[in-house]
Amino acid sequence: MNSTRLLRLATDLIVIFLGLFSLTSPFFFTQARDIDNQAAAFPIMVSLIILLCLMIVIFEAQTSLLDSKMIAFLAVLTAINAGLRFLENAIPGPGGFSPIFFLIILSGYYFGSRIGFLVGAMTLLVSAIITGGIGPWLPGQMITAGWVGQSAIILTFLVDKFAWRGKPVEIILLSGFGGLWGILYGVIMNLWFWPFLGAGAGQTFSHTAGALENLQRYVAYYLATSLVWDITRTVGNILIISIMTTSVLKVFQRFKQRFSFQIQG
Amino acid sequence: MIKFTDLTYRYPLRSQAVFEDVNLEINAGTLTLVTGASGSGKSTLLRCINGLVPHFSGGTIAGKIQVFGSDPIVEGVEVMAHKVGFVFQEPESQFVFDVIEDEIAFSLENAGVSRQEMERRIQEVLQMVRLSPLRKKNLSEISGGEQQKVAIASALVTQPLVLILDEPTSQLDPVSADEVLKFVIELKNHLNLTVLISEHRLERLLPYTDLILNLSAERGAIIGKPQEILPLMYQVPPIVEIAQRLKISPLPLTPPTFPQVKLSHKPLKQIEKHCKPQDARPVCLEINGLSARLNDQLILDEVSFNLHQSEILVLMGPNGAGKTTLLRSVLKMIPHSGKVTLMGTDTNNLQFAEIIQEIAYLPQNPNDLLFAESVIEELKITLKNHGKVAEGVNFHDFLKPFDLGHLGDQYPRDLSVGERQRTALAAVTVHDPRIIFLDEPTRGMDYDVKKRLNFLFHHWRQLGKAILLITHDVEFAALLADRVVILENGKLLFCGAPRTAFSKFPAYQTQTVRVFPGTGWITPDDIAPDLDLQ
Amino acid sequence: MIHSIVWMIWLLVVMVFILSTRNPIYLGLILVGLLFLGHRLAREKKIKNWVLANLRFLLTMILLSTLINGFFSHVGQTILFTIPQKWPLIGGNFTLESLVYGVINGLVIGALYILFNIINLALSIKQLTRMIPRAFHPITMMVTISLTFFPSIQKRAREIKEAQMIRGNPMKKIVDWLPILIPLLVTSLENAFLLAESMTTRGFHQPIDLRAPGNLISLILGTFFVFSGWMMHLFNYPRYLSAPLFVIGFGLILLTLMAVGKHSKITRYHHEEWKPMDIMITIIIALYLVIFIYLRWADGLPSLNYSPYPYLSMPALQTIGLLFCILPFVPMIIKRHD
Repeated sequence: MNSTRLLRLATDLIVIFLGLFSLTSPFFFTQARDIDNQAAAFPIMVSLIILLCLMIVIFEAQTSLLDSKMIAFLAVLTAINAGLRFLENAIPGPGGFSPIFFLIILSGYYFGSRIGFLVGAMTLLVSAIITGGIGPWLPGQMITAGWVGQSAIILTFLVDKFAWRGKPVEIILLSGFGGLWGILYGVIMNLWFWPFLGAGAGQTFSHTAGALENLQRYVAYYLATSLVWDITRTVGNILIISIMTTSVLKVFQRFKQRFSFQIQG
Repeated sequence: MIKFTDLTYRYPLRSQAVFEDVNLEINAGTLTLVTGASGSGKSTLLRCINGLVPHFSGGTIAGKIQVFGSDPIVEGVEVMAHKVGFVFQEPESQFVFDVIEDEIAFSLENAGVSRQEMERRIQEVLQMVRLSPLRKKNLSEISGGEQQKVAIASALVTQPLVLILDEPTSQLDPVSADEVLKFVIELKNHLNLTVLISEHRLERLLPYTDLILNLSAERGAIIGKPQEILPLMYQVPPIVEIAQRLKISPLPLTPPTFPQVKLSHKPLKQIEKHCKPQDARPVCLEINGLSARLNDQLILDEVSFNLHQSEILVLMGPNGAGKTTLLRSVLKMIPHSGKVTLMGTDTNNLQFAEIIQEIAYLPQNPNDLLFAESVIEELKITLKNHGKVAEGVNFHDFLKPFDLGHLGDQYPRDLSVGERQRTALAAVTVHDPRIIFLDEPTRGMDYDVKKRLNFLFHHWRQLGKAILLITHDVEFAALLADRVVILENGKLLFCGAPRTAFSKFPAYQTQTVRVFPGTGWITPDDIAPDLDLQ
Repeated sequence: MIHSIVWMIWLLVVMVFILSTRNPIYLGLILVGLLFLGHRLAREKKIKNWVLANLRFLLTMILLSTLINGFFSHVGQTILFTIPQKWPLIGGNFTLESLVYGVINGLVIGALYILFNIINLALSIKQLTRMIPRAFHPITMMVTISLTFFPSIQKRAREIKEAQMIRGNPMKKIVDWLPILIPLLVTSLENAFLLAESMTTRGFHQPIDLRAPGNLISLILGTFFVFSGWMMHLFNYPRYLSAPLFVIGFGLILLTLMAVGKHSKITRYHHEEWKPMDIMITIIIALYLVIFIYLRWADGLPSLNYSPYPYLSMPALQTIGLLFCILPFVPMIIKRHD
């Protein structure tokens, strides 16, 4: 494996590790400073670390992936996906149903993990800019959406190994994946908010409690607040992916050549 | 000067070369018109000059190119950007920014020009295209013609020696197109540029053209003075066609230069048609006092006219006159006042699904409709949408008049531009609607496509269908209109015979009319074969 | 118009202050200041009901965090009612102190939300994208183009939807959206290709080929240092160990980005002028920050550390603390002065 690929792999791993660790750090902090003020700064620090991780991934992508064709390609795909996000406000019913994930997953699945990551992260960024919704939660949203696209590479690996391309199994796999992320996205995003809502001594998120107890509290908190949203998101993802995949993949196939991706994203 | 030596190019993964062994020379300060059918390689050839081919497109290139001392094959696009400016066909898809001055600054930013120099050049170029007061405006707020001017300004801001325009006016209406081309000529003279333009609408540029470069499958690339090349071309402007038929030499390039004609014959086809067709054809669509508003602005003002069976009605008017609003009102997609009667029933009493059963609509971008795997699939989908049975329908027969009989199983997106348009037309008419609305179908299309459309329209007319055609293309309309309606500022300006429409109003006069005013001839075919010429 | 960098400095300092205190009176005062400022800015931009919308969010957050805290946390002396212990997790005392603590949480979240909303109001999209360092020019291009294309894509989607509806598409189920999405996707990607041509023609070059992975490695190292500094801080390691790690980390990152930025020869057309008003605000804010850091170091602001536990009491107030609450008003005052 040459040095560029090694570096890229290192970047991916570092980002995943740092990002996940930062987000799940509330579970581990049993001995953190006991000054109440500390905990409110917690999510801000997490956002900062995540921002630095995003910076690393983007920097790496710029040097190896982003030429004018790829920039235009990503820009357009992101604009479409950001537009889909507005649909989510137009659809009545319980919130959570979000049409943005299927393009992210399919991009990652078909074009590679980095493109998947960028489509995910940039969709969130662009739609935040458009709606004037930039805030400290944005890095968390960006990196999680990025992971959705990045992790689709697992499916690519499976499908290629078992020669499932074009078969119904492919669609089932992708839909299931979308469903899984429907819940996972909510779980991870709530991890970011959680310390906010319960910080300091003797709270929902407790410094003095053990890791297991913290986990229990988090699960309860999650179930109470976010589950309904996430279930609609899951169901939505499964439905949309199962319906749209075949046609969208065909479109991607048509354009793969034109945008001549020199490196597997 | 620009010189091609034995230039051959092949796109990646294609076995057939786009052009082979092209040899030509273009002197500095000339205006070269690049012509040829769609797919002949015009765009590709132009892109060789600034290096997009082969650096952006890939593929294999052989031969040498010289552009004012640089070889684009060797130098690459970035270097050539200083010498060659390029303007593309679609205004919307060439803009990176949304504000005019930012867009113009883009090339300078990339070149690392200092801020003061940038300011100076931007001001200069904005004054040249006369858009200075609009510099902070959003690109979406200006017209298509002004957008292309911005594109030209963006290309000129790096002070290039060559300006290339690839079908710059095909998406514009005639007034804007004229403006843009006039500008180009002005700028060329003012800045002593070498200009290459690829165009289908040759009429406007011919008087100013120094050279014509023609690409065809049979002869490859040929270049020469207009008088030499025009006789060899497949499609020439009407005035040249007339001159050729009347064996006038040298070929006149503009109506004023056409020799005086003494008319000793009464012109043929003096049939006058009024707002009602000559024979009593049944009315299928009645529009009575139609008014519509958009954002509190009155777009349509008491418009009334009828559409009959077996009729091709051409709807013309400047942009914003309300033509598309008219269609939308008839289809009940926007609120309106006045009465619309479809096949005898007031549309207020009809459901949307019933209306679209009888009216088909081809949008300005036919590609907007295509999403299925094959042409026949598209047809089946429409049938299903209208609740009709697809079993037992002979699709191949249905596709024959569309010249798609052999393409039924093809993936629509792989077809040529004209074939895609006809696929879309087939898809919206498969459920046998009685009325067909077409919105600007000849925009950017070449002669072949228009010919096939004409054939299709006559086929429909024979079947008794009514066609409402919105177009800016006066020459095309003159060929096939049964009646003409002109809208201006939302009001009905004219409704009646084509002969009157295309002779009486200066904005809608065909070239034939300009050459032979007062005769009632509107197309070259109208002209009597034996004329006395002085 | 206040310079965008000044706004960012203001944002930073106000945020630091909000995160340093749990004193509900301080937080309340800051919120009032922020709402005033936001109202002023929203009025300039002709946005209606800004204050109302933000208040609504604030109250929702307070309610949410109060309930969560009240039910999940059982610490505190003033017991309002008790839930049987056998109920998992919520079993226990529901105390007044935990309620108040929840309110304070809500105030913090609300204040941060409103703070960022103000930044969204104050800075235009252009100003935001221009603040992205030059080292990230390609991705900035991507975001800019995305924003430029967004309205035309929406317009195109509407046209496609219309055309398909006239063709008979009932637009009822998810599957009916496919005839809109697919043409939109294809057309947009084709336009992307044309756009890339247009960009390349106008000299947009491929990004700097940083074959030397040195820059990337130094960014990664910098991040690790910052991370380690944070970890040390959380694990109660002494300040003289964690602080330098922070500084080295950030320094490394900043230097790398600056070096990369200098390498690119791209110039910027737009330039925000620094007006005297901007300099004045910056000086004032810098003063605030310096005094604040000094006082914290010297433990001169005990009123910041308020806690309702174990027994609910009145929060302490210090004049100097109140002075800090004026910070949100600073941009407003200086602007009016101008």
